[in-house]
Amino acid sequence: MMGLDDLVNWFMSIANVFKKRKTVRLGLYGAPNAGKTSLANKISMDWLGEPVGKVSRVPHETRTIQQKEHVAVKANGHVLDMNLLDMPGISTKVDYRDFMKYGITLEEAQKRSKEATKGIIEAIKWLENVDAALIVMDSTEDPYTQVNITIIGNLEARSIPVILVANKIDLAKSKPGKIREAYPQYPVVEISALKGDNMDELYHEITTRLR
Amino acid sequence: MIAMIEIEFLSTAVLSQKAEGEKIKFLLTSLKKGKILVLEDPLTHGEETMLIEATMKKVTSGFPGIEIGTLGESGVAGTASDFRNQLIRMLGGKPSGFTVIGPSKLVRQIKRDPETLSLFAGDGRKR
Repeated sequence: MMGLDDLVNWFMSIANVFKKRKTVRLGLYGAPNAGKTSLANKISMDWLGEPVGKVSRVPHETRTIQQKEHVAVKANGHVLDMNLLDMPGISTKVDYRDFMKYGITLEEAQKRSKEATKGIIEAIKWLENVDAALIVMDSTEDPYTQVNITIIGNLEARSIPVILVANKIDLAKSKPGKIREAYPQYPVVEISALKGDNMDELYHEITTRLR
Repeated sequence: MIAMIEIEFLSTAVLSQKAEGEKIKFLLTSLKKGKILVLEDPLTHGEETMLIEATMKKVTSGFPGIEIGTLGESGVAGTASDFRNQLIRMLGGKPSGFTVIGPSKLVRQIKRDPETLSLFAGDGRKR
């Protein structure tokens, strides 16, 4: 038999169907190689069945904003329609010589470097156009970098809701607790975008906090 | 042989009279000259973002970018902390904190811990 809670939930889910839903522009921000594209791919694969972009161990693989429209995430009785924006990684330096360490030719490295700088500018400009953001951090690295602090500070100043994503928890060196310690005022979700670990918790946070 | 490093300490008076754009241009010019800058008045997050954006427009093989670290209050324009900083200045005081910036060709890393900033410069070998 249906209890009172079940009845309320049923009415809520019906109401949600008829409620005019706004599409949320969700930006994935973070430093290069934090796993933003892996996460964007995982979210898009889970809800649309198609990836967003190419993943690589070479930094600045994503050099233009990659977008997937109308990704409808469902969790906890809520549906959130999102335009997923996979941003180029933000850094304070781009040295073409760093690309050459990965066996990339001089000419290609210089081209990549130029494109990467443009990508960073584009990602910064979009800080004022997103409705919500996931700040993706590599949990094997020091989270207390000026780039992370600056991105979060900018979003906070614009009252844009933020969830911190402690990525790569499948790696032995992962220390997601350091992210919680560094940013105690923000919600932190520990995941592995690559393995798909803990994605349900992330979807729960997205649908409850970013509506 | 140890290369000479120039560290410039910029008092609040040097930058406070400049408009935001001018301030960023001034800092970038000094950074491109190979100077490490210590700012008595910390940059806001908004100014840091402007500096990163301006830096990206100037990246060349000889100037790949910057390293930056801010300690203490770093209010964004229009926010409560920015208002607090302005009020402190009006009352003759100075907001707590400072910003350190250096060209990345010279400064390998600025690490925050979180109440200490460590600047690592040089050839990468610890002496």
